[in-house]
Amino acid sequence: MVAVKDTVDQVAGLEKYEHGFVTEIEQEFAPKGLNRDTVAFISAKKEEPEWMLAWRLEAFERWSAMESPDWARVSFPPIDYQDATYYAAPKTKVGPASLDEVDPELLRTYEKLGIPLREQEVLAGVTGAPRYAVDAVFDSVSVVTTFKKELAEAGVIFCSMSEAVREHPELVRKYLGTVVPVSDNYFACLNSAVFSDGSFVYVPPGVRCPMELSTYFRINAAGSGQFERTLIIADKGAYVSYLEGCTAPMRDENQLHAAVVELVALDDAEIKYSTVQNWYPGDPETGKGGIYNFVTKRADCRGDRSRVSWTQVETGSAITWKYPSCILRGRESVGEFYSIAITNGRQQADTGTKMIHLGEGTRSRIISKGISAGRSSNTYRGLVSAHPKARGARNFTQCDSLLIGKTCSAHTVPYIEARNGACTFEHEATTTRLSEDQLFYARQRGLSEEEAVQLLVNGFVRDVLQELPMEFAVEAQKLVAISLEGSVG
Amino acid sequence: MNLDEAIRLRDPSRLPSRRDEDWRWTDLRGLLRTIPEPSRPLAAGTAGLGPFDGLTEETLIVANGSGPEEIRIAGGETRTLALRHISRGDGAHSARLRIDVGPSARLTLLESHEGGGAGLSLLGVDLHLGADAACERLVLADMDAEAVAVVELDANLAAGARFSQTLLTAGARRQRFETRVRHPGQGAEVRLDGLYVLRDRRHADLTSKVSHEGPGGRTDQLARGVADDQARAVFQGRITVQEGADGTDARMAHNALILSDRAEVDARPELEIYADDVACAHGATVGALDDEVLFYMRQRGLPEREARSLLVASFLGEVIDRIESPAAAERMRSWLQARIGAEG
Repeated sequence: MVAVKDTVDQVAGLEKYEHGFVTEIEQEFAPKGLNRDTVAFISAKKEEPEWMLAWRLEAFERWSAMESPDWARVSFPPIDYQDATYYAAPKTKVGPASLDEVDPELLRTYEKLGIPLREQEVLAGVTGAPRYAVDAVFDSVSVVTTFKKELAEAGVIFCSMSEAVREHPELVRKYLGTVVPVSDNYFACLNSAVFSDGSFVYVPPGVRCPMELSTYFRINAAGSGQFERTLIIADKGAYVSYLEGCTAPMRDENQLHAAVVELVALDDAEIKYSTVQNWYPGDPETGKGGIYNFVTKRADCRGDRSRVSWTQVETGSAITWKYPSCILRGRESVGEFYSIAITNGRQQADTGTKMIHLGEGTRSRIISKGISAGRSSNTYRGLVSAHPKARGARNFTQCDSLLIGKTCSAHTVPYIEARNGACTFEHEATTTRLSEDQLFYARQRGLSEEEAVQLLVNGFVRDVLQELPMEFAVEAQKLVAISLEGSVG
Repeated sequence: MNLDEAIRLRDPSRLPSRRDEDWRWTDLRGLLRTIPEPSRPLAAGTAGLGPFDGLTEETLIVANGSGPEEIRIAGGETRTLALRHISRGDGAHSARLRIDVGPSARLTLLESHEGGGAGLSLLGVDLHLGADAACERLVLADMDAEAVAVVELDANLAAGARFSQTLLTAGARRQRFETRVRHPGQGAEVRLDGLYVLRDRRHADLTSKVSHEGPGGRTDQLARGVADDQARAVFQGRITVQEGADGTDARMAHNALILSDRAEVDARPELEIYADDVACAHGATVGALDDEVLFYMRQRGLPEREARSLLVASFLGEVIDRIESPAAAERMRSWLQARIGAEG
């Protein structure tokens, strides 16, 4: 019973939110508030060309005329956008040539978070261990990007968004905002105006990216938000796997994280995008503090036979509001969405996906596992649609919700729109609580109640965990355990 | 947004529109620029025969918005009532009817919607079921292609009550059946079935909202239908399990066949759960007829047209099989048969 042992070990090692510390570091801030000057300030700080500033300002104008949406099943007091800082960066040199120039305090932060920034450390492991390159984003700037040289040899561009705007303007101009248009929605529009850093990835035709790429987002400064922007392009026949992790200190105030992620897959390309989201969820008793995670993630399967797979493990944030989606434009393109969303304490999550079938013979698959405990609310909201030209479109959706305790809630809101006579959509959903029989069986075998719950929950989310890259699956499994701590009894 | 007010005040800005989330697929404001003139009164004698004629002596008629406003079934009684909702001409009208079914009484309500012209109609029914009462509501909607109609039912159940419903519709220009049930749990049972057969440019919307408010309730829902030509079918089902409604068992299924490349089926099966000891599930499928099965049948010498209507008949027939009143089930089966026969 290896699984049982793993689970028991994990429960024994349970801690509260372990990433809640603050790094004491000298930082530079934009003046509080949001206006044209703030946008210009950010653009100037990033030494951006004229066209980028114009793009941002146009987005700002449009955002100013928009209203905050209220259709999701989440509630929060109105956000005062003038009472936040939109740019926060460590005072040391941005984009240092080598790790030696990076502020040691920052390095210690990442060490504490368990993120390998030194390439040799990554290599120091067991021979043949999988390696991954990291782009570390600290508040509004990218601190360091590892393995750039080795990736460049393969032709892969992996750098921060700011650097891409300066070094590869032709690629950025060609693709930025083509998947998520500037005024797509309120938060995406805000992001377009004030986005700080994020990752840029370009994989040239026929190249299989030699290692996993990852970005680690850290909000540190108080009173600031994070507005990262990520753009990943897999050219014809390319393959890339990308991971995203995030944490923030424990604070009593709410902080806004409004990111935009755009993926473009051309003919025969494949992008695998995995997220392990562990923003500070707020105080479980009072509901005070925590991150508002309002994110727009969308993939455009532009090319024929292209493939995009979203995998997400959502355990953190006070409020999560995100729908990683796929526009299946190319013939026979494939979209996949695997999700585990866990809410505990007073967390609220409204998450799901959209699979928009435009091309012939397109296929999609949605596996969503929602777990709610404590006094939390967990909603799956999804759309599957087939347009008249999407003959032969197929979708399979499975949404399961698990309830732990009497004060939480779980909702399933799928939208299905079939607009041609040759598509096949199947959707099934269940909502149940943990089976008494199974719990009893596990407890009979000597597991404590909490361990038994962990074991059953791990079984419940297995289908999705299997989709994660190995090292992250282990991490995610641990997170599942931590997130549910205190939910029993 | 209030349809009744829109009709009475002739104010199209009060019509539900696609901006109202629950009406996004059945937009009335975008369809009607103006509200038609109020309908002229219609003499009940001109109604002719209804689809359930001969099954009961008791027939109530709501003609162009006027008819009885209240019906009472005394405790312990068993009755079969035909309710004919008839609309003629191009006018607009609305009517509201309250039906009380006393404790342990049994009512079979045979409801038909006929005509419709090119007008706009609203019928609202408030149904109250006493303790251990039972009501089976069977609805046949055969409206004009140009009709715009909304039929609403609010059912309030007491403990131990049973409410079953089967709706059959061929759609209209725009048509919606909305059924809202307050489910007390405590031994009460609900069955909400529906069936649509849509051709040409017809539209039908089956919407239901069931709210489980007490422990130990059951809801079972099966909706099926076919959409051909440029028709559009909408299914929206929401099951809410309120806090404390433990032991709820709720199941919902919606299966649709699309028979043409220009037809559309939209579905939203929702679960909203605030209690933990529940077993809730829903399933939804949309697809075409299985080519392999068709091929098999044709190999056995069946002409394609016959093979298709056989498949459709067996697919839809399961909904009819769940009807409890045998005589009414026969009427509904032949109505369906005539519809499918006209499929080809």
